[in-house]
Amino acid sequence: MSIIELSDISKSYRIGEVETRAVDGVSLNIEAGEFTALVGPSGSGKTTLLQIIGCLDKPDRGAVLINGQDVTRLNANRRADLRRDVIGFIFQFFALVPVLDAYENVELPLLLSGVGAKERKERTLELLDAVGLADRIHHRPDQLSGGQQQRVAIARALVKRPLMVLADEPTANLDTANGEQAMEIMQRLNAQTGTAFIFATHDPRVMSFARRTVRMLDGRIVADELNP
Amino acid sequence: MTWTKLWVIAYRDLTRSRRRTFFTLLAVALGLALLIVLNGFIAGIVDDALQNSIRLQTGHVQIRAATFPDDKRSLQWKDLLDRPAALVAQAAAMPEVVTAAPVLWADTVLNTSQESVGLQLYGIDVASSLYDPIRTALVAGDFLAANDRSGILMGKRLADSLNLPLGATVNLVTIDANGQPQEARFVIRGLFDSGVLVYDEGTLFMPLEKAQAYTLVGDRASAVMLLLHDKESAERVAAALAAPGLQTLTWRDLNAFFIQTMDTAMSFYMFLDAIVMLIVAVIIANTLLMAVFERIREMGILAALGMKRRQIMQMMLFEASIIALAGIVVGVILGLLGVAFLTQNGFVMGEMAGVASTIPMSAVLYARFDPVTFAWLTLWTFIIALVASLYPAWFAAHLEPVEALHTN
Repeated sequence: MSIIELSDISKSYRIGEVETRAVDGVSLNIEAGEFTALVGPSGSGKTTLLQIIGCLDKPDRGAVLINGQDVTRLNANRRADLRRDVIGFIFQFFALVPVLDAYENVELPLLLSGVGAKERKERTLELLDAVGLADRIHHRPDQLSGGQQQRVAIARALVKRPLMVLADEPTANLDTANGEQAMEIMQRLNAQTGTAFIFATHDPRVMSFARRTVRMLDGRIVADELNP
Repeated sequence: MTWTKLWVIAYRDLTRSRRRTFFTLLAVALGLALLIVLNGFIAGIVDDALQNSIRLQTGHVQIRAATFPDDKRSLQWKDLLDRPAALVAQAAAMPEVVTAAPVLWADTVLNTSQESVGLQLYGIDVASSLYDPIRTALVAGDFLAANDRSGILMGKRLADSLNLPLGATVNLVTIDANGQPQEARFVIRGLFDSGVLVYDEGTLFMPLEKAQAYTLVGDRASAVMLLLHDKESAERVAAALAAPGLQTLTWRDLNAFFIQTMDTAMSFYMFLDAIVMLIVAVIIANTLLMAVFERIREMGILAALGMKRRQIMQMMLFEASIIALAGIVVGVILGLLGVAFLTQNGFVMGEMAGVASTIPMSAVLYARFDPVTFAWLTLWTFIIALVASLYPAWFAAHLEPVEALHTN
């Protein structure tokens, strides 16, 4: 079953007098539990596509169905609800809230979802343990390494048991060892939880983990292949 | 999301730039403290001047002849009360009245070998408690005796300015009831220092009987003055004493110009209050806007996590509330300390107290605790702080997540 259905999506940005078409007539389906890489060079439109899927941005044209619901018609609050309930985000720059410690960062989405205190604690500790940070729960982001921060971000993305996790260049700011460790953790959690992972990346290490690779160039999908 | 967590995030956000938070908090605190001290001081000045006027000049109620003019001190018989003793007895019988006494007012000129000074002459019932403030303000000599036919009381400041010692003889000239000049010599029996410059430098007292004889008014008086237990009963007492041929005036009527002046001054001070609050508002808005600009990407993260605009606004308003509440606590403490200091020690006005000749200000002015005004100022400071934070909060809440996330 497709959890994401994109039909003829287009999105343009105007910078000064110049209009740039970031995504140009893209149609794409993502199934539950997929581990998919959106790959392409800088400016190919993969980040824009990820933002549209994540309800952070709206397309100029086309339909975006998440679990069968067209999200382009939703207002800001309903899109916030959708992000809160079914989408997890992992960003290149880790994107943790600096004034919260690791535990509080992971717990935050559950607080936003109104999950009870007992369940919140169990799930937060479970995810922090799963990413190997059980002994760093009260460290703030500035007390953690880049790799550890990204693992907190992974735990935060998964703690609410979302339908999908959208990761934008998740290894770009990590060294090789930390990058591979992050990918292994995501691959393991994908297998354990059935959450779909969609990566925007041009890192070959990430591509090697993906089971499906969607290649983009100049805002269009130029290849869509399953990896052996 | 629980409000507790929003408070926690808001509080911790404020600790990021502690110096900026401290100075914003200080601005709120100093602004409020200034308002409290200023308003406490003004309340003290108004009270002081009104009390002085009632205590030394007007009393709570005055009974005058209906024809007695407002703008001058007439000694014409038609303008005077011809049976003041009966009116005193009638008024004194009322339960609201503390004391009642006749008084005779005249304009006089005091001549020395060096200069001449225009003064107000009060012929008073020396036995009346109405003049206790003068009795207790004596700094040299004795209070007047009823049968003293040549003694006067003079303000010490006036005596000093004229180089007149206690016991000195002075020459007074006045225009009597018939419009003829009367000249007589009097001895300074006592010097008083009421602390009210316009009074200490411009008033002479002599026994009523002597004043009546000196001005040829017979046993008439300019007015009967009443002191009441409660000044709010003045209208009731005045109405009860009203009679044909008489005018009964309350302290509000008698101090109308002063009260109107104070109302005008209060409007000006409210304008000053508004300016101080506006400055506080601008500082808070600036601090929060800076905090938002520094955290635009973070707002994008929170929005990406599903935090709603309403919740982001709440978080920013909580930040403003924390700064405002902390500033208010410090400001109230500082302000009350300032008011307490001015209540105990006062502010020495010196010669400045005599600048406004129509306002009987004391030479040392004291602040007054005015809890209701202080509470309003505190509440308004909090409201203004929250209102000032609305725009930064709205700005933060309406950032587009995708743009916010890509802000460095």
